[in-house]
Amino acid sequence: MSRRWLAIPCLWVLGVAAGAEPPPIALVIHGGAGVIDPQQMTPEHAAAYRAGLAAALDQGYAVLERGGSALEAVTTAVVILEDDPNFNAGRGAVLNEDGDAELDAALMDGNGPHAGAVAAVRHVKNPIELARLVMQHSPHVLLVGDGAEDFALEQGVLLVPRGYFRTRARKAELEEAKRTAAATPGGGTVGAVALDRAGNLAAGTSTGGLSNKHRGRVGDSPLIGAGTYASNASCAVSATGQGEFFIRQVVAYDVCALVQYKRLTLAQAAHEVVQVKLRASGGEGGLIALDPAGDIAMEFNSVGMFRAARDAHGRREIAMYRDTP
Amino acid sequence: MHAIAIHGGAGAVPRASLSAEREARYRAGLERALDAGFAILEGGGSALDAVCAAVRLLEDDPNFNAGHGAALTRDGAAELDAAIMDGRQMRAGAVASVRHVKNPVELARHVMEKSRHVLLVGAGAEEFALEEGLVLVPNRYFRTAERLEQLESEQRGERVSDLVPPAPQGTVGAVARDGAGNLAAATSTGGMTNKRPGRVGDSPIIGAGTYAKNGVCAVSATGHGEYFIRAVAAHHVCAAVEHRGLTLEAAVAELLHQVLPALGGDGGLIALDHAGRIVMDFSTEGMFRGARDSNGRRDLAIY
Repeated sequence: MSRRWLAIPCLWVLGVAAGAEPPPIALVIHGGAGVIDPQQMTPEHAAAYRAGLAAALDQGYAVLERGGSALEAVTTAVVILEDDPNFNAGRGAVLNEDGDAELDAALMDGNGPHAGAVAAVRHVKNPIELARLVMQHSPHVLLVGDGAEDFALEQGVLLVPRGYFRTRARKAELEEAKRTAAATPGGGTVGAVALDRAGNLAAGTSTGGLSNKHRGRVGDSPLIGAGTYASNASCAVSATGQGEFFIRQVVAYDVCALVQYKRLTLAQAAHEVVQVKLRASGGEGGLIALDPAGDIAMEFNSVGMFRAARDAHGRREIAMYRDTP
Repeated sequence: MHAIAIHGGAGAVPRASLSAEREARYRAGLERALDAGFAILEGGGSALDAVCAAVRLLEDDPNFNAGHGAALTRDGAAELDAAIMDGRQMRAGAVASVRHVKNPVELARHVMEKSRHVLLVGAGAEEFALEEGLVLVPNRYFRTAERLEQLESEQRGERVSDLVPPAPQGTVGAVARDGAGNLAAATSTGGMTNKRPGRVGDSPIIGAGTYAKNGVCAVSATGHGEYFIRAVAAHHVCAAVEHRGLTLEAAVAELLHQVLPALGGDGGLIALDHAGRIVMDFSTEGMFRGARDSNGRRDLAIY
């Protein structure tokens, strides 16, 4: 009995010695799936997207390197992508049928788990930050529309006029969408998943949704389990694509359920959900995922997915299409 | 084999404060909804029509927290959420934070059947309702003297913490299996009394408060919405049945008695699997519920 009692701390010490290498911090981001036909992508555009992804990746990763939380890293990366007019989130978000940006975002802390989300907000510069305030300073998970903006004001968040979000490119896209009478995937939803030194996972997603969408339409991004999910017990996921399909399939949670309960590897689970289940239902898009061991999955069934990953093993990559790592 | 189960909310009324007269009203409302849904299944109708009909009746009944008689926000208005899911093609429709739609479950069904979308919220959802030819009602249609009284008592004080959601106060829902083996689920609610305008709970979130997938199960939940969202409750049950081979009973018990308590949440849910087996379980003091199937089962219960 007493010998066994002694053996436990000894094994624990050995374990710590063997695990001397740094914990596997990692950050993965995306700037949307199915974004732009590679034929139509000019070199200037490609460079601008890459620069935006690189800024978000490196600044988010810097948070992890200096010992910051996964939650902080995800928020940092998503805020940068929201502020970048090339991506469909925050400034430069696609416009609804009325010509307004209506924004959705969610953030989930795998340690808890805690979650916060906002939907259909029109005057919040960084919806991901408001989602974080919902998580940390309200008893709720999801606030929508005017009620969400009222909460923003109570929290001291400055609101911006609707014109802040509108860009010339998005107005042109809306006109085109109105000509073809469709709600077209704007593409370019942004998201991030991170693993910090303490072993915590987090996921965040932010989007303007579909160009020419019906006022009030909410996609998968702000729905916990659909477009965003994180649990330290399984994985962190941020999705992008045709939101309606992702909601019905509860995509983000399904990846984690396959990992936790069916014992699939992260790569197998992401493949199963994106290439088998989503494809079978006709849904197009992709997702990024990260597990507690630092394994990364970036899976998509669309023509491309703007994405980037960086980890403690020296990996740093930015890619847009299938064949351009 | 066809079957339907309904609920009128978990933890809505403590046993001590439920008079015989009130209990009779609740039972009568549950009975009406249960039998109307079951009659549709008996007549060869779809599970989707059955859950829609049952939830509609509960929405119209002022005793339940959905539609007429819904709980009020801190501004004294009703803000309603609802979802419906068809397990056959995994189609889904939902609305949140609507203030003028008499039967939110019906609008959710329009979203599912007549729009490209799954979830519409607020004024945009009401605009869609008008486009679909639904008649809007003034917000006071939903307000009852009893709900106003509840709001006033809540606003007088006794809030424990700004960060802890108040106890669940009822929600309505139904799950059904039709003779063709199709599953469907629907949920409708006014949310919590004195809630912040814009707050959305689990009911209209596919996978959290409502889920249906043929061959697996159909679920409608009620309880502390925030916890059910974080646990992706309805999908958790279906995933446990589908991926891990748990029985429906075990999957529901795990969620309600392990996963949710670990997060700090309570509530209940009704679920139905492909064989027509019904599970109605809760971690609160009670849950208004009823079940009826083609093998002759017919029961109503509260505690």
